[in-house]
Amino acid sequence: MIRALILGYGFLGKALAKRLLNRPVEELKIVGLANSKGYLYKRDGLQLEKIKEPLEDNEGFEKGRATELLTKEYIDLLIELTPTNISTGEPGITHIRTALKEEIDVVTANKGPVLLALKELKRIADEKNVIFKYEGTVGGGIPIFSLVNKCLQGDDIISIRGILNGTTNYILTRMHFEGLTFELALREAIMLGIAERNPTLDVEGIDTAVKILILANSIMNLNKNLSDVKIVGVTKVTPEAISAAKDNGMTIKLIGSIEDGELSVEPRLIRLNHPLCVHGTLNAINIKSNVLKTLTLIGEGAGESTVASLLNDIYDVIKERHSKIKF
Amino acid sequence: MKVRLTLGLVDRPGTLLNVLEQIAIHGGNIISIIHNRDRITAGYVPVSINVEFPSSEQLEKAKSSIESIGVPVMESETLEKKVETFLLIGAIDIDLITSTLQNEGARLIGLSLIGSSKTPCLKLIIDTPLEKRHRLLKSLQSVISSSDCLLIREEEN
Repeated sequence: MIRALILGYGFLGKALAKRLLNRPVEELKIVGLANSKGYLYKRDGLQLEKIKEPLEDNEGFEKGRATELLTKEYIDLLIELTPTNISTGEPGITHIRTALKEEIDVVTANKGPVLLALKELKRIADEKNVIFKYEGTVGGGIPIFSLVNKCLQGDDIISIRGILNGTTNYILTRMHFEGLTFELALREAIMLGIAERNPTLDVEGIDTAVKILILANSIMNLNKNLSDVKIVGVTKVTPEAISAAKDNGMTIKLIGSIEDGELSVEPRLIRLNHPLCVHGTLNAINIKSNVLKTLTLIGEGAGESTVASLLNDIYDVIKERHSKIKF
Repeated sequence: MKVRLTLGLVDRPGTLLNVLEQIAIHGGNIISIIHNRDRITAGYVPVSINVEFPSSEQLEKAKSSIESIGVPVMESETLEKKVETFLLIGAIDIDLITSTLQNEGARLIGLSLIGSSKTPCLKLIIDTPLEKRHRLLKSLQSVISSSDCLLIREEEN
Protein backbone atom coordinates (compact mmCIF):
# COMPACT_ATOMS: atom_id res chain seq x y z
CA MET A 1 0.00 0.00 0.00
CA ILE A 2 1.31 3.46 -0.98
CA ARG A 3 0.76 6.04 1.76
CA ALA A 4 0.26 9.47 0.21
CA LEU A 5 0.19 13.05 1.44
CA ILE A 6 -1.65 15.67 -0.62
CA LEU A 7 0.17 18.91 0.10
CA GLY A 8 -1.82 21.88 -1.18
CA TYR A 9 -5.56 21.66 -0.73
CA GLY A 10 -6.78 24.26 -3.21
CA PHE A 11 -8.82 23.67 -6.35
CA LEU A 12 -6.63 20.84 -7.65
CA GLY A 13 -6.05 19.14 -4.30
CA LYS A 14 -9.80 19.08 -3.66
CA ALA A 15 -10.54 17.83 -7.20
CA LEU A 16 -8.05 14.97 -6.76
CA ALA A 17 -9.44 14.07 -3.33
CA LYS A 18 -12.98 14.06 -4.76
CA ARG A 19 -11.92 11.76 -7.59
CA LEU A 20 -10.14 9.40 -5.20
CA LEU A 21 -13.25 9.32 -3.02
CA ASN A 22 -15.52 8.46 -5.97
CA ARG A 23 -13.11 6.04 -7.57
CA PRO A 24 -10.44 4.90 -5.13
CA VAL A 25 -7.07 3.77 -6.44
CA GLU A 26 -6.29 0.30 -5.22
CA GLU A 27 -3.06 0.28 -3.23
CA LEU A 28 -3.22 4.04 -2.54
CA LYS A 29 -4.13 5.40 0.86
CA ILE A 30 -4.36 9.14 1.55
CA VAL A 31 -2.84 9.53 5.01
CA GLY A 32 -2.45 13.32 4.98
CA LEU A 33 -4.06 16.47 3.63
CA ALA A 34 -2.26 19.77 4.14
CA ASN A 35 -2.72 23.44 3.38
CA SER A 36 -0.71 26.55 4.23
CA LYS A 37 -2.10 26.60 7.79
CA GLY A 38 -1.49 23.02 8.85
CA TYR A 39 -2.43 19.42 8.21
CA LEU A 40 -4.63 16.46 8.92
CA TYR A 41 -2.82 13.17 9.36
CA LYS A 42 -3.96 9.66 10.16
CA ARG A 43 -1.47 6.83 10.06
CA ASP A 44 -3.98 4.22 8.81
CA GLY A 45 -5.57 6.53 6.23
CA LEU A 46 -8.01 9.45 6.23
CA GLN A 47 -11.68 8.86 5.52
CA LEU A 48 -12.05 11.27 2.62
CA GLU A 49 -15.88 11.23 2.79
CA LYS A 50 -15.71 12.74 6.27
CA ILE A 51 -13.38 15.63 5.40
CA LYS A 52 -14.99 19.03 5.99
CA GLU A 53 -14.02 22.29 4.39
CA PRO A 54 -11.98 24.23 5.29
CA LEU A 55 -9.43 21.68 6.45
CA GLU A 56 -8.85 23.49 9.72
CA ASP A 57 -12.47 22.77 10.77
CA ASN A 58 -11.71 19.05 10.98
CA GLU A 59 -10.99 17.35 14.27
CA GLY A 60 -7.33 16.53 14.62
CA PHE A 61 -6.15 19.43 12.45
CA GLU A 62 -2.61 20.32 13.48
CA LYS A 63 -1.21 23.79 12.96
CA GLY A 64 2.28 23.78 11.54
CA ARG A 65 4.32 22.91 8.50
CA ALA A 66 3.44 19.81 6.55
CA THR A 67 7.15 19.17 5.93
CA GLU A 68 7.15 17.84 9.51
CA LEU A 69 5.07 14.94 8.22
CA LEU A 70 7.61 14.21 5.49
CA THR A 71 10.47 13.90 7.97
CA LYS A 72 8.69 12.37 10.97
CA GLU A 73 5.94 10.12 9.63
CA TYR A 74 5.97 7.16 7.30
CA ILE A 75 4.94 8.54 3.87
CA ASP A 76 5.66 6.91 0.49
CA LEU A 77 4.30 9.53 -1.91
CA LEU A 78 4.06 13.31 -1.83
CA ILE A 79 1.44 14.82 -4.13
CA GLU A 80 2.64 18.44 -4.23
CA LEU A 81 -0.11 20.85 -5.33
CA THR A 82 0.75 24.17 -3.69
CA PRO A 83 0.35 27.32 -5.84
CA THR A 84 2.99 28.04 -8.50
CA ASN A 85 5.52 30.75 -7.75
CA ILE A 86 7.71 31.34 -10.81
CA SER A 87 10.05 33.75 -9.02
CA THR A 88 11.17 31.54 -6.14
CA GLY A 89 9.55 28.16 -6.78
CA GLU A 90 8.61 28.12 -3.09
CA PRO A 91 7.19 26.54 -1.07
CA GLY A 92 7.11 23.78 -3.70
CA ILE A 93 10.88 23.39 -4.09
CA THR A 94 11.38 22.92 -0.34
CA HIS A 95 8.53 20.42 -0.13
CA ILE A 96 9.77 18.35 -3.06
CA ARG A 97 13.45 18.54 -2.08
CA THR A 98 12.62 17.44 1.47
CA ALA A 99 10.49 14.55 0.24
CA LEU A 100 13.05 13.28 -2.26
CA LYS A 101 15.82 13.43 0.34
CA GLU A 102 13.60 11.38 2.65
CA GLU A 103 13.29 8.80 -0.17
CA ILE A 104 9.65 9.71 -0.80
CA ASP A 105 8.34 9.59 -4.38
CA VAL A 106 6.88 12.86 -5.68
CA VAL A 107 4.08 13.74 -8.10
CA THR A 108 3.40 17.41 -8.78
CA ALA A 109 1.47 19.84 -10.96
CA ASN A 110 3.40 22.81 -9.56
CA LYS A 111 5.32 24.54 -12.36
CA GLY A 112 7.63 26.58 -10.10
CA PRO A 113 9.89 23.77 -8.85
CA VAL A 114 10.10 22.16 -12.30
CA LEU A 115 10.91 25.51 -13.89
CA LEU A 116 13.57 26.57 -11.40
CA ALA A 117 15.04 23.39 -9.93
CA LEU A 118 14.42 20.53 -12.37
CA LYS A 119 18.07 19.44 -12.60
CA GLU A 120 18.65 19.48 -8.88
CA LEU A 121 15.40 17.66 -8.08
CA LYS A 122 16.04 15.02 -10.75
CA ARG A 123 19.58 14.52 -9.41
CA ILE A 124 18.30 13.98 -5.85
CA ALA A 125 15.63 11.59 -7.16
CA ASP A 126 18.31 9.59 -9.01
CA GLU A 127 20.65 9.54 -6.02
CA LYS A 128 17.88 8.37 -3.69
CA ASN A 129 16.40 6.00 -6.27
CA VAL A 130 12.95 7.58 -5.99
CA ILE A 131 10.41 8.71 -8.59
CA PHE A 132 9.73 12.35 -9.51
CA LYS A 133 6.84 12.98 -11.92
CA TYR A 134 5.35 16.27 -13.12
CA GLU A 135 2.94 15.51 -15.98
CA GLY A 136 0.37 18.04 -14.75
CA THR A 137 2.73 21.01 -15.08
CA VAL A 138 2.20 21.49 -18.84
CA GLY A 139 -1.03 21.19 -20.80
CA GLY A 140 -3.20 20.09 -17.86
CA GLY A 141 -4.52 16.66 -18.76
CA ILE A 142 -2.54 16.36 -22.03
CA PRO A 143 -0.06 13.51 -21.45
CA ILE A 144 2.89 15.14 -23.19
CA PHE A 145 5.74 13.84 -21.00
CA SER A 146 4.31 10.32 -20.77
CA LEU A 147 3.80 10.24 -24.52
CA VAL A 148 7.36 11.26 -25.30
CA ASN A 149 8.92 9.08 -22.59
CA LYS A 150 6.87 5.96 -23.27
CA CYS A 151 5.76 6.13 -26.88
CA LEU A 152 8.59 7.94 -28.68
CA GLN A 153 11.57 6.07 -27.27
CA GLY A 154 14.36 6.01 -29.82
CA ASP A 155 12.96 8.93 -31.79
CA ASP A 156 14.51 12.43 -31.84
CA ILE A 157 12.26 15.36 -31.03
CA ILE A 158 13.05 18.18 -33.48
CA SER A 159 10.53 20.80 -32.41
CA ILE A 160 7.65 21.40 -30.04
CA ARG A 161 5.09 24.15 -30.43
CA GLY A 162 1.64 24.79 -29.16
CA ILE A 163 -1.16 26.73 -27.60
CA LEU A 164 -0.42 26.30 -23.92
CA ASN A 165 -2.54 28.93 -22.21
CA GLY A 166 -6.32 28.54 -22.04
CA THR A 167 -6.97 32.11 -20.91
CA THR A 168 -5.34 33.82 -23.90
CA ASN A 169 -6.85 31.24 -26.23
CA TYR A 170 -10.29 32.05 -24.86
CA ILE A 171 -9.68 35.80 -25.35
CA LEU A 172 -8.42 35.38 -28.93
CA THR A 173 -11.30 33.02 -29.72
CA ARG A 174 -13.84 35.59 -28.55
CA MET A 175 -12.07 38.29 -30.57
CA HIS A 176 -12.20 36.05 -33.65
CA PHE A 177 -15.79 34.87 -33.45
CA GLU A 178 -17.49 37.88 -31.84
CA GLY A 179 -15.27 40.76 -32.97
CA LEU A 180 -14.62 41.81 -29.35
CA THR A 181 -11.74 44.08 -28.41
CA PHE A 182 -8.95 42.58 -26.32
CA GLU A 183 -10.07 44.56 -23.26
CA LEU A 184 -13.68 43.40 -23.52
CA ALA A 185 -12.75 39.76 -24.09
CA LEU A 186 -10.39 39.90 -21.09
CA ARG A 187 -13.10 41.41 -18.87
CA GLU A 188 -15.45 38.63 -19.94
CA ALA A 189 -12.82 35.98 -19.16
CA ILE A 190 -12.31 37.44 -15.67
CA MET A 191 -16.08 37.48 -15.04
CA LEU A 192 -16.32 33.82 -16.04
CA GLY A 193 -13.40 32.87 -13.81
CA ILE A 194 -11.30 31.80 -16.82
CA ALA A 195 -8.77 34.58 -16.25
CA GLU A 196 -7.39 35.59 -12.90
CA ARG A 197 -8.05 39.06 -11.46
CA ASN A 198 -4.44 39.84 -12.28
CA PRO A 199 -4.07 38.27 -15.72
CA THR A 200 -0.55 39.63 -16.43
CA LEU A 201 1.21 36.26 -16.44
CA ASP A 202 -1.28 34.91 -18.97
CA VAL A 203 -1.76 37.84 -21.36
CA GLU A 204 1.91 38.85 -21.40
CA GLY A 205 2.85 35.32 -22.49
CA ILE A 206 4.84 34.48 -19.35
CA ASP A 207 2.75 31.44 -18.39
CA THR A 208 3.25 30.02 -21.90
CA ALA A 209 6.97 30.80 -21.69
CA VAL A 210 7.24 28.87 -18.41
CA LYS A 211 5.60 25.83 -20.00
CA ILE A 212 7.79 26.06 -23.10
CA LEU A 213 10.84 26.18 -20.84
CA ILE A 214 9.74 23.10 -18.92
CA LEU A 215 9.22 21.23 -22.20
CA ALA A 216 12.58 22.43 -23.58
CA ASN A 217 14.59 21.49 -20.51
CA SER A 218 12.75 18.28 -19.76
CA ILE A 219 12.00 16.75 -23.16
CA MET A 220 14.71 18.29 -25.32
CA ASN A 221 17.38 18.31 -22.60
CA LEU A 222 18.18 21.97 -23.13
CA ASN A 223 19.51 24.15 -20.37
CA LYS A 224 17.55 27.34 -20.82
CA ASN A 225 16.04 29.88 -18.48
CA LEU A 226 13.30 32.48 -18.79
CA SER A 227 15.63 35.14 -20.18
CA ASP A 228 16.34 32.83 -23.15
CA VAL A 229 12.71 32.96 -24.27
CA LYS A 230 11.58 35.70 -26.65
CA ILE A 231 8.22 36.64 -25.15
CA VAL A 232 5.51 38.73 -26.80
CA GLY A 233 2.03 38.74 -25.30
CA VAL A 234 -1.38 39.32 -26.85
CA THR A 235 -2.23 42.75 -25.43
CA LYS A 236 -1.50 44.53 -28.72
CA VAL A 237 -3.69 42.28 -30.86
CA THR A 238 -6.52 44.39 -32.29
CA PRO A 239 -9.91 43.44 -33.76
CA GLU A 240 -8.64 44.90 -37.06
CA ALA A 241 -5.73 42.44 -37.10
CA ILE A 242 -8.04 39.52 -36.34
CA SER A 243 -10.35 40.70 -39.11
CA ALA A 244 -7.42 40.88 -41.57
CA ALA A 245 -6.44 37.34 -40.60
CA LYS A 246 -10.03 36.12 -41.07
CA ASP A 247 -10.09 37.51 -44.61
CA ASN A 248 -7.25 35.12 -45.46
CA GLY A 249 -8.82 32.07 -43.78
CA MET A 250 -6.65 32.52 -40.71
CA THR A 251 -6.81 33.70 -37.13
CA ILE A 252 -4.31 34.81 -34.48
CA LYS A 253 -3.16 32.48 -31.69
CA LEU A 254 -0.51 32.73 -28.98
CA ILE A 255 2.05 30.11 -29.95
CA GLY A 256 4.91 28.89 -27.79
CA SER A 257 7.65 27.13 -29.72
CA ILE A 258 11.01 25.41 -29.47
CA GLU A 259 12.49 25.41 -32.97
CA ASP A 260 16.18 25.15 -33.91
CA GLY A 261 17.08 25.57 -30.23
CA GLU A 262 15.27 28.91 -30.09
CA LEU A 263 12.44 29.42 -27.63
CA SER A 264 9.69 31.91 -28.33
CA VAL A 265 6.19 32.91 -27.34
CA GLU A 266 4.36 35.24 -29.70
CA PRO A 267 1.03 35.78 -31.43
CA ARG A 268 1.09 34.12 -34.84
CA LEU A 269 -1.20 33.91 -37.83
CA ILE A 270 -2.54 30.41 -38.15
CA ARG A 271 -4.76 28.82 -40.80
CA LEU A 272 -8.18 27.84 -39.51
CA ASN A 273 -7.60 24.26 -40.68
CA HIS A 274 -4.15 24.03 -39.03
CA PRO A 275 -3.98 21.14 -36.52
CA LEU A 276 -2.96 23.57 -33.76
CA CYS A 277 -5.92 25.87 -34.37
CA VAL A 278 -8.15 25.02 -31.42
CA HIS A 279 -10.62 27.40 -29.81
CA GLY A 280 -11.96 28.34 -26.40
CA THR A 281 -9.86 27.26 -23.45
CA LEU A 282 -8.43 24.23 -25.29
CA ASN A 283 -4.67 23.65 -25.53
CA ALA A 284 -2.86 21.96 -28.41
CA ILE A 285 0.70 20.67 -28.64
CA ASN A 286 2.46 19.65 -31.84
CA ILE A 287 5.63 17.58 -31.84
CA LYS A 288 7.90 17.09 -34.83
CA SER A 289 10.33 14.20 -34.72
CA ASN A 290 12.67 12.39 -37.05
CA VAL A 291 10.83 9.08 -37.19
CA LEU A 292 7.17 9.78 -36.34
CA LYS A 293 7.35 13.12 -38.23
CA THR A 294 4.41 14.99 -36.70
CA LEU A 295 1.88 14.49 -33.95
CA THR A 296 -0.67 16.86 -32.41
CA LEU A 297 -2.39 16.49 -29.06
CA ILE A 298 -5.46 18.52 -28.11
CA GLY A 299 -7.08 18.80 -24.70
CA GLU A 300 -8.15 20.96 -21.79
CA GLY A 301 -5.02 22.64 -20.52
CA ALA A 302 -6.08 23.43 -16.97
CA GLY A 303 -8.70 22.88 -14.32
CA GLU A 304 -10.09 19.52 -13.32
CA SER A 305 -8.63 17.72 -16.35
CA THR A 306 -5.19 18.10 -14.74
CA VAL A 307 -6.39 15.38 -12.32
CA ALA A 308 -6.00 12.94 -15.25
CA SER A 309 -2.27 13.70 -15.33
CA LEU A 310 -1.97 13.36 -11.56
CA LEU A 311 -3.74 9.99 -11.61
CA ASN A 312 -1.52 8.73 -14.42
CA ASP A 313 1.59 9.75 -12.48
CA ILE A 314 0.23 8.10 -9.31
CA TYR A 315 -0.43 4.85 -11.19
CA ASP A 316 3.10 5.02 -12.66
CA VAL A 317 4.55 5.35 -9.16
CA ILE A 318 2.54 2.36 -7.94
CA LYS A 319 3.62 0.24 -10.94
CA GLU A 320 7.28 1.26 -10.71
CA ARG A 321 7.33 0.52 -6.98
CA HIS A 322 5.86 -2.92 -7.71
CA SER A 323 8.45 -3.70 -10.37
CA LYS A 324 11.24 -2.62 -8.00
CA ILE A 325 9.91 -4.90 -5.25
CA LYS A 326 9.80 -7.85 -7.68
CA PHE A 327 13.44 -7.37 -8.59
CA MET B 1 16.66 21.69 -52.98
CA LYS B 2 15.43 22.91 -56.35
CA VAL B 3 17.50 25.51 -58.22
CA ARG B 4 17.71 27.13 -61.62
CA LEU B 5 21.30 27.26 -62.92
CA THR B 6 21.90 29.63 -65.82
CA LEU B 7 25.07 28.64 -67.65
CA GLY B 8 27.01 30.24 -70.50
CA LEU B 9 27.56 27.38 -72.94
CA VAL B 10 29.78 27.51 -76.02
CA ASP B 11 27.63 26.48 -78.97
CA ARG B 12 29.65 23.31 -79.64
CA PRO B 13 28.44 19.67 -79.70
CA GLY B 14 29.13 17.79 -76.46
CA THR B 15 29.38 20.82 -74.15
CA LEU B 16 25.94 20.36 -72.61
CA LEU B 17 26.59 16.63 -72.13
CA ASN B 18 29.77 17.44 -70.14
CA VAL B 19 27.76 19.80 -67.90
CA LEU B 20 25.01 17.22 -67.31
CA GLU B 21 27.66 14.69 -66.29
CA GLN B 22 28.99 17.09 -63.61
CA ILE B 23 25.46 17.58 -62.28
CA ALA B 24 24.81 13.84 -62.18
CA ILE B 25 28.11 13.13 -60.38
CA HIS B 26 26.93 15.37 -57.52
CA GLY B 27 23.48 13.79 -57.25
CA GLY B 28 21.55 16.40 -59.24
CA ASN B 29 18.24 15.39 -60.79
CA ILE B 30 17.43 17.37 -63.97
CA ILE B 31 13.88 18.72 -64.07
CA SER B 32 14.05 20.77 -67.29
CA ILE B 33 16.49 22.45 -69.71
CA ILE B 34 15.80 25.67 -71.62
CA HIS B 35 18.15 26.97 -74.38
CA ASN B 36 17.92 30.73 -74.81
CA ARG B 37 19.24 30.76 -78.40
CA ASP B 38 17.77 34.20 -79.00
CA ARG B 39 20.08 35.58 -76.29
CA ILE B 40 23.45 34.45 -77.70
CA THR B 41 26.14 36.82 -76.43
CA ALA B 42 29.87 36.70 -77.23
CA GLY B 43 29.50 33.18 -78.55
CA TYR B 44 27.75 31.88 -75.44
CA VAL B 45 24.26 30.41 -75.39
CA PRO B 46 22.59 30.98 -72.03
CA VAL B 47 21.08 27.67 -70.90
CA SER B 48 18.77 27.44 -67.89
CA ILE B 49 18.72 24.09 -66.15
CA ASN B 50 16.25 23.38 -63.36
CA VAL B 51 17.82 20.81 -61.05
CA GLU B 52 17.03 19.22 -57.73
CA PHE B 53 20.05 18.54 -55.47
CA PRO B 54 19.99 16.50 -52.26
CA SER B 55 21.72 19.33 -50.35
CA SER B 56 23.25 22.78 -50.72
CA GLU B 57 26.74 21.27 -50.33
CA GLN B 58 26.19 19.11 -53.41
CA LEU B 59 24.87 22.10 -55.33
CA GLU B 60 28.03 24.07 -54.51
CA LYS B 61 30.25 21.14 -55.53
CA ALA B 62 28.38 20.78 -58.82
CA LYS B 63 28.79 24.50 -59.55
CA SER B 64 32.56 24.25 -58.94
CA SER B 65 32.81 21.18 -61.19
CA ILE B 66 30.89 22.92 -63.98
CA GLU B 67 33.18 25.96 -63.79
CA SER B 68 36.25 23.69 -63.71
CA ILE B 69 35.35 22.42 -67.21
CA GLY B 70 35.23 26.02 -68.44
CA VAL B 71 31.50 26.69 -68.32
CA PRO B 72 30.57 29.85 -66.39
CA VAL B 73 27.66 29.64 -63.95
CA MET B 74 25.99 32.97 -64.68
CA GLU B 75 23.21 32.64 -62.12
CA SER B 76 22.01 30.25 -59.45
CA GLU B 77 18.50 30.92 -58.21
CA THR B 78 16.39 28.92 -55.80
CA LEU B 79 13.06 27.62 -57.03
CA GLU B 80 11.85 27.05 -53.49
CA LYS B 81 10.06 30.14 -52.37
CA LYS B 82 7.54 30.79 -49.69
CA VAL B 83 4.66 33.18 -50.01
CA GLU B 84 3.41 34.16 -46.59
CA THR B 85 1.25 36.72 -44.88
CA PHE B 86 2.46 39.07 -42.16
CA LEU B 87 0.47 41.52 -40.06
CA LEU B 88 2.03 44.64 -38.69
CA ILE B 89 0.02 46.28 -35.92
CA GLY B 90 0.92 49.89 -35.14
CA ALA B 91 2.38 52.83 -37.03
CA ILE B 92 5.67 52.34 -38.87
CA ASP B 93 7.48 53.87 -41.86
CA ILE B 94 6.60 51.54 -44.75
CA ASP B 95 9.82 52.51 -46.57
CA LEU B 96 11.76 50.85 -43.75
CA ILE B 97 9.89 47.63 -44.38
CA THR B 98 10.24 47.69 -48.17
CA SER B 99 13.97 48.44 -48.02
CA THR B 100 14.45 45.57 -45.55
CA LEU B 101 12.62 43.23 -47.91
CA GLN B 102 14.75 44.38 -50.83
CA ASN B 103 17.99 43.94 -48.87
CA GLU B 104 17.01 40.39 -47.91
CA GLY B 105 16.03 39.32 -51.44
CA ALA B 106 12.31 39.14 -50.63
CA ARG B 107 9.50 40.56 -52.74
CA LEU B 108 6.40 42.37 -51.51
CA ILE B 109 3.53 41.02 -53.60
CA GLY B 110 0.60 42.39 -51.62
CA LEU B 111 0.02 45.29 -49.26
CA SER B 112 -3.17 46.51 -47.64
CA LEU B 113 -4.03 48.82 -44.78
CA ILE B 114 -6.79 47.75 -42.43
CA GLY B 115 -8.08 49.76 -39.51
CA SER B 116 -8.03 53.41 -38.66
CA SER B 117 -5.10 55.79 -38.31
CA LYS B 118 -5.52 55.29 -34.53
CA THR B 119 -5.09 51.51 -34.74
CA PRO B 120 -3.40 50.85 -38.09
CA CYS B 121 -2.76 47.32 -39.25
CA LEU B 122 -0.78 46.50 -42.37
CA LYS B 123 -1.22 43.20 -44.16
CA LEU B 124 1.86 42.25 -46.15
CA ILE B 125 2.14 39.30 -48.51
CA ILE B 126 5.79 38.49 -49.05
CA ASP B 127 7.55 36.12 -51.44
CA THR B 128 10.85 34.90 -49.96
CA PRO B 129 13.43 32.36 -51.16
CA LEU B 130 13.24 29.58 -48.56
CA GLU B 131 16.88 29.77 -47.55
CA LYS B 132 16.58 33.50 -46.84
CA ARG B 133 13.39 33.28 -44.77
CA HIS B 134 15.04 32.96 -41.36
CA ARG B 135 17.27 35.97 -42.01
CA LEU B 136 14.36 38.01 -43.30
CA LEU B 137 12.40 37.33 -40.11
CA LYS B 138 15.33 38.44 -37.97
CA SER B 139 15.76 41.61 -40.02
CA LEU B 140 12.07 42.51 -39.86
CA GLN B 141 12.02 41.91 -36.12
CA SER B 142 15.11 44.06 -35.72
CA VAL B 143 13.52 46.90 -37.73
CA ILE B 144 10.32 46.92 -35.70
CA SER B 145 12.05 46.42 -32.34
CA SER B 146 12.70 50.16 -32.10
CA SER B 147 9.00 50.92 -32.63
CA ASP B 148 5.89 50.09 -30.65
CA CYS B 149 4.67 47.76 -33.41
CA LEU B 150 3.76 44.12 -33.25
CA LEU B 151 4.81 41.89 -36.15
CA ILE B 152 2.76 38.74 -36.54
CA ARG B 153 4.06 36.04 -38.83
CA GLU B 154 2.39 32.96 -40.20
CA GLU B 155 2.71 29.65 -38.38
CA GLU B 156 4.18 26.92 -40.52
CA ASN B 157 2.25 23.75 -41.22
